[in-house]
Amino acid sequence: MAEERRFRSACGAPITLRRRQHSASCRELAVRGPRLQLRSLSAATSAVWLAAYGLFALSENSMVLSAAIFITLIGLIIYLHFVKIDQESLLVIGSLGIQVTSSYASGKESTIFIEMGQVKDVVINEAIHMQKVIYYLCILLQDPEDPQGISEVVPLFQSSKPRLDCLIEVYKSCQEILEQRKTAPQSN
Amino acid sequence: VLYLIWAYIPETWLFSLGLTYWPQKYWAVALPVYLLVTVGIGYILLFGINMMSTAPLNSTDTITDNFARKQQQKKFQEEAIPALRDIPISEVNRMFFLPEK
Repeated sequence: MAEERRFRSACGAPITLRRRQHSASCRELAVRGPRLQLRSLSAATSAVWLAAYGLFALSENSMVLSAAIFITLIGLIIYLHFVKIDQESLLVIGSLGIQVTSSYASGKESTIFIEMGQVKDVVINEAIHMQKVIYYLCILLQDPEDPQGISEVVPLFQSSKPRLDCLIEVYKSCQEILEQRKTAPQSN
Repeated sequence: VLYLIWAYIPETWLFSLGLTYWPQKYWAVALPVYLLVTVGIGYILLFGINMMSTAPLNSTDTITDNFARKQQQKKFQEEAIPALRDIPISEVNRMFFLPEK
Protein backbone atom coordinates (compact mmCIF):
# COMPACT_ATOMS: atom_id res chain seq x y z
CA MET A 1 0.00 0.00 0.00
CA ALA A 2 1.36 3.40 -0.96
CA GLU A 3 0.76 6.76 0.66
CA GLU A 4 1.85 10.20 -0.46
CA ARG A 5 1.96 13.41 1.57
CA ARG A 6 3.17 16.92 0.90
CA PHE A 7 5.68 18.69 3.11
CA ARG A 8 8.15 21.56 2.92
CA SER A 9 11.91 21.43 2.89
CA ALA A 10 14.15 23.49 5.17
CA CYS A 11 14.40 26.20 2.47
CA GLY A 12 10.66 26.29 1.88
CA ALA A 13 10.50 24.28 -1.35
CA PRO A 14 7.59 21.80 -1.61
CA ILE A 15 8.57 18.14 -1.32
CA THR A 16 6.51 14.95 -1.22
CA LEU A 17 7.02 11.90 0.96
CA ARG A 18 5.89 8.55 -0.44
CA ARG A 19 5.57 5.59 1.89
CA ARG A 20 5.19 2.03 0.67
CA GLN A 21 4.90 -1.02 2.86
CA HIS A 22 6.08 -4.09 1.02
CA SER A 23 5.65 -6.48 3.93
CA ALA A 24 5.57 -6.51 7.70
CA SER A 25 9.29 -5.94 7.98
CA CYS A 26 10.07 -4.04 4.79
CA ARG A 27 9.28 -0.42 4.08
CA GLU A 28 10.28 2.09 1.46
CA LEU A 29 10.23 5.84 2.06
CA ALA A 30 10.95 8.20 -0.83
CA VAL A 31 11.35 11.98 -0.64
CA ARG A 32 10.92 13.68 -3.96
CA GLY A 33 12.03 17.27 -4.49
CA PRO A 34 10.69 19.78 -6.99
CA ARG A 35 11.61 19.29 -10.65
CA LEU A 36 13.85 21.68 -12.54
CA GLN A 37 11.71 24.78 -13.09
CA LEU A 38 11.47 26.29 -16.58
CA ARG A 39 11.65 29.82 -15.21
CA SER A 40 14.89 29.31 -13.30
CA LEU A 41 16.43 27.57 -16.30
CA SER A 42 15.49 30.42 -18.66
CA ALA A 43 16.60 33.02 -16.11
CA ALA A 44 20.06 31.43 -15.84
CA THR A 45 20.38 31.02 -19.60
CA SER A 46 19.35 34.61 -20.31
CA ALA A 47 21.74 35.93 -17.68
CA VAL A 48 24.67 34.07 -19.20
CA TRP A 49 23.75 35.09 -22.74
CA LEU A 50 23.23 38.74 -21.82
CA ALA A 51 26.63 38.82 -20.10
CA ALA A 52 28.21 37.24 -23.20
CA TYR A 53 26.48 39.75 -25.45
CA GLY A 54 27.76 42.58 -23.27
CA LEU A 55 31.30 41.18 -23.55
CA PHE A 56 30.86 40.86 -27.31
CA ALA A 57 29.72 44.48 -27.57
CA LEU A 58 32.82 45.54 -25.64
CA SER A 59 35.39 43.36 -27.34
CA GLU A 60 33.95 42.75 -30.88
CA ASN A 61 35.11 39.13 -30.65
CA SER A 62 32.46 36.74 -31.93
CA MET A 63 34.03 33.75 -30.20
CA VAL A 64 32.51 35.03 -26.97
CA LEU A 65 29.00 34.24 -28.19
CA SER A 66 29.76 30.66 -29.22
CA ALA A 67 31.71 30.14 -26.00
CA ALA A 68 28.65 31.29 -24.06
CA ILE A 69 26.45 28.77 -25.85
CA PHE A 70 28.89 25.94 -25.10
CA ILE A 71 29.17 26.99 -21.48
CA THR A 72 25.40 27.03 -21.09
CA LEU A 73 24.94 23.59 -22.62
CA ILE A 74 27.79 21.92 -20.75
CA GLY A 75 26.84 23.64 -17.51
CA LEU A 76 23.27 22.35 -17.84
CA ILE A 77 24.43 18.80 -18.46
CA ILE A 78 26.84 18.86 -15.52
CA TYR A 79 24.16 20.30 -13.26
CA LEU A 80 21.59 17.66 -14.20
CA HIS A 81 24.01 14.79 -13.87
CA PHE A 82 25.96 15.69 -10.75
CA VAL A 83 24.04 18.26 -8.75
CA LYS A 84 20.27 18.08 -9.12
CA ILE A 85 18.86 15.27 -7.01
CA ASP A 86 15.26 14.41 -7.84
CA GLN A 87 14.44 11.73 -5.35
CA GLU A 88 16.06 10.24 -2.29
CA SER A 89 14.68 6.99 -1.00
CA LEU A 90 15.22 4.80 2.01
CA LEU A 91 14.48 1.08 1.88
CA VAL A 92 14.44 -0.57 5.29
CA ILE A 93 14.41 -4.37 5.32
CA GLY A 94 14.06 -5.66 8.86
CA SER A 95 16.50 -8.53 8.91
CA LEU A 96 18.77 -7.48 6.09
CA GLY A 97 19.75 -3.82 6.16
CA ILE A 98 19.05 -0.32 5.00
CA GLN A 99 19.52 0.92 1.45
CA VAL A 100 19.77 4.61 0.58
CA THR A 101 19.42 5.68 -3.07
CA SER A 102 19.68 9.12 -4.62
CA SER A 103 18.45 9.53 -8.17
CA TYR A 104 19.66 12.50 -10.14
CA ALA A 105 17.72 14.41 -12.76
CA SER A 106 19.70 12.83 -15.60
CA GLY A 107 18.66 9.35 -14.49
CA LYS A 108 21.83 8.45 -12.59
CA GLU A 109 21.28 6.60 -9.34
CA SER A 110 23.75 6.13 -6.55
CA THR A 111 23.10 3.62 -3.76
CA ILE A 112 24.54 2.84 -0.38
CA PHE A 113 23.67 -0.33 1.49
CA ILE A 114 24.22 -0.73 5.20
CA GLU A 115 23.90 -4.17 6.77
CA MET A 116 21.58 -4.45 9.75
CA GLY A 117 24.37 -5.75 11.99
CA GLN A 118 26.14 -2.43 11.66
CA VAL A 119 23.10 -0.26 12.29
CA LYS A 120 22.79 0.91 15.87
CA ASP A 121 19.84 3.26 15.46
CA VAL A 122 18.14 5.76 13.19
CA VAL A 123 17.75 9.11 14.96
CA ILE A 124 16.81 12.71 14.30
CA ASN A 125 19.80 14.85 15.14
CA GLU A 126 20.10 18.62 15.09
CA ALA A 127 23.26 20.39 14.04
CA ILE A 128 24.53 23.73 12.84
CA HIS A 129 24.65 23.95 9.07
CA MET A 130 25.54 27.22 7.32
CA GLN A 131 24.21 29.72 9.88
CA LYS A 132 21.10 27.60 10.53
CA VAL A 133 20.29 24.85 12.96
CA ILE A 134 18.58 22.04 11.05
CA TYR A 135 17.05 18.73 11.99
CA TYR A 136 18.26 15.83 9.91
CA LEU A 137 17.78 12.11 9.97
CA CYS A 138 20.86 9.99 10.36
CA ILE A 139 21.87 6.35 10.78
CA LEU A 140 24.21 5.59 13.66
CA LEU A 141 26.67 2.81 12.91
CA GLN A 142 27.89 0.55 15.66
CA ASP A 143 31.45 0.42 16.84
CA PRO A 144 32.67 -3.19 16.64
CA GLU A 145 34.75 -2.93 19.83
CA ASP A 146 32.43 -0.95 22.03
CA PRO A 147 28.74 -1.95 21.99
CA GLN A 148 27.65 1.42 23.39
CA GLY A 149 29.83 3.47 21.09
CA ILE A 150 29.08 5.02 17.75
CA SER A 151 31.62 4.63 15.01
CA GLU A 152 30.04 6.65 12.23
CA VAL A 153 27.12 8.89 11.44
CA VAL A 154 25.47 8.66 8.01
CA PRO A 155 23.21 11.64 7.34
CA LEU A 156 20.16 10.99 5.12
CA PHE A 157 18.13 13.23 2.81
CA GLN A 158 20.95 15.68 2.42
CA SER A 159 19.83 17.56 -0.64
CA SER A 160 16.09 17.71 -0.04
CA LYS A 161 16.32 18.69 3.59
CA PRO A 162 12.86 17.91 4.95
CA ARG A 163 11.48 19.71 7.97
CA LEU A 164 10.74 18.16 11.33
CA ASP A 165 7.18 17.02 10.55
CA CYS A 166 8.33 14.93 7.60
CA LEU A 167 11.29 13.62 9.57
CA ILE A 168 9.04 12.48 12.41
CA GLU A 169 6.99 10.41 9.96
CA VAL A 170 10.09 8.75 8.54
CA TYR A 171 11.47 8.23 12.05
CA LYS A 172 8.34 6.50 13.28
CA SER A 173 8.26 4.19 10.27
CA CYS A 174 11.90 3.24 10.72
CA GLN A 175 11.56 2.67 14.45
CA GLU A 176 8.62 0.30 13.94
CA ILE A 177 10.86 -1.93 11.88
CA LEU A 178 13.96 -1.53 14.03
CA GLU A 179 12.03 -2.55 17.13
CA GLN A 180 11.23 -5.86 15.57
CA ARG A 181 14.83 -6.91 15.56
CA LYS A 182 15.00 -6.53 19.33
CA THR A 183 11.88 -8.58 20.06
CA ALA A 184 12.77 -11.35 17.63
CA PRO A 185 16.55 -11.73 17.76
CA GLN A 186 17.92 -13.97 15.06
CA SER A 187 21.42 -15.34 14.86
CA ASN A 188 23.24 -13.52 12.04
CA VAL B 1 54.85 60.25 22.66
CA LEU B 2 57.97 59.72 20.61
CA TYR B 3 55.74 58.65 17.74
CA LEU B 4 53.78 61.92 17.87
CA ILE B 5 56.92 64.04 18.07
CA TRP B 6 58.45 62.24 15.14
CA ALA B 7 55.24 62.52 13.08
CA TYR B 8 54.72 66.23 13.56
CA ILE B 9 58.15 67.89 13.52
CA PRO B 10 59.20 68.62 9.90
CA GLU B 11 62.19 66.80 8.46
CA THR B 12 64.46 69.79 8.17
CA TRP B 13 64.26 70.49 11.90
CA LEU B 14 65.12 66.85 12.69
CA PHE B 15 68.09 66.99 10.31
CA SER B 16 69.33 70.14 11.97
CA LEU B 17 69.26 68.33 15.29
CA GLY B 18 71.42 65.59 13.80
CA LEU B 19 68.75 62.85 13.73
CA THR B 20 68.86 61.76 10.10
CA TYR B 21 68.23 58.02 10.12
CA TRP B 22 64.51 57.93 11.03
CA PRO B 23 61.90 56.19 8.88
CA GLN B 24 60.18 58.17 6.12
CA LYS B 25 57.17 60.25 7.16
CA TYR B 26 55.03 58.17 4.83
CA TRP B 27 54.89 55.49 7.51
CA ALA B 28 53.34 57.86 10.04
CA VAL B 29 50.08 57.53 8.11
CA ALA B 30 50.56 54.08 6.57
CA LEU B 31 50.92 52.11 9.81
CA PRO B 32 47.61 53.19 11.38
CA VAL B 33 45.84 52.44 8.12
CA TYR B 34 47.39 48.98 8.05
CA LEU B 35 46.22 48.36 11.62
CA LEU B 36 42.64 49.36 10.90
CA VAL B 37 42.44 47.23 7.76
CA THR B 38 43.78 44.27 9.77
CA VAL B 39 41.09 44.77 12.39
CA GLY B 40 38.42 44.87 9.69
CA ILE B 41 39.68 41.73 8.00
CA GLY B 42 39.94 40.07 11.39
CA TYR B 43 36.16 40.23 11.72
CA ILE B 44 35.64 38.41 8.43
CA LEU B 45 38.45 35.96 9.17
CA LEU B 46 36.98 35.09 12.56
CA PHE B 47 33.60 34.44 10.99
CA GLY B 48 35.22 32.18 8.40
CA ILE B 49 37.23 30.26 10.98
CA ASN B 50 34.07 29.72 12.98
CA MET B 51 32.25 28.31 10.01
CA MET B 52 35.13 26.04 9.09
CA SER B 53 35.54 24.55 12.53
CA THR B 54 31.85 23.70 12.87
CA ALA B 55 31.54 19.94 12.91
CA PRO B 56 30.21 18.60 9.57
CA LEU B 57 26.89 16.81 9.55
CA ASN B 58 28.46 13.35 9.33
CA SER B 59 30.83 13.55 12.29
CA THR B 60 30.27 11.86 15.63
CA ASP B 61 31.04 15.14 17.37
CA THR B 62 27.44 16.16 16.83
CA ILE B 63 26.25 13.21 18.91
CA THR B 64 28.76 12.63 21.67
CA ASP B 65 32.29 13.43 22.75
CA ASN B 66 35.08 12.03 24.90
CA PHE B 67 33.64 13.07 28.23
CA ALA B 68 30.24 11.58 27.51
CA ARG B 69 31.71 8.27 26.40
CA LYS B 70 33.70 7.79 29.58
CA GLN B 71 31.02 8.84 32.04
CA GLN B 72 30.19 6.48 34.89
CA GLN B 73 26.68 5.54 35.83
CA LYS B 74 25.75 6.13 39.45
CA LYS B 75 23.43 3.66 41.11
CA PHE B 76 19.81 4.61 41.27
CA GLN B 77 18.74 5.62 44.80
CA GLU B 78 15.15 5.78 45.96
CA GLU B 79 13.72 9.21 46.80
CA ALA B 80 16.79 11.03 45.50
CA ILE B 81 17.20 13.21 42.45
CA PRO B 82 18.95 11.14 39.77
CA ALA B 83 22.53 12.07 39.08
CA LEU B 84 23.32 14.37 36.18
CA ARG B 85 24.46 12.54 33.07
CA ASP B 86 24.49 12.81 29.31
CA ILE B 87 21.45 10.97 27.97
CA PRO B 88 22.14 9.02 24.76
CA ILE B 89 20.51 10.39 21.67
CA SER B 90 18.39 7.29 21.01
CA GLU B 91 16.62 7.68 24.33
CA VAL B 92 16.04 11.39 23.78
CA ASN B 93 14.56 10.71 20.37
CA ARG B 94 12.26 8.03 21.65
CA MET B 95 11.00 10.34 24.35
CA PHE B 96 10.40 13.23 22.00
CA PHE B 97 9.05 11.67 18.88
CA LEU B 98 7.55 8.28 19.62
CA PRO B 99 4.71 8.63 22.13
CA GLU B 100 1.32 8.55 20.46
CA LYS B 101 -0.56 11.81 20.79
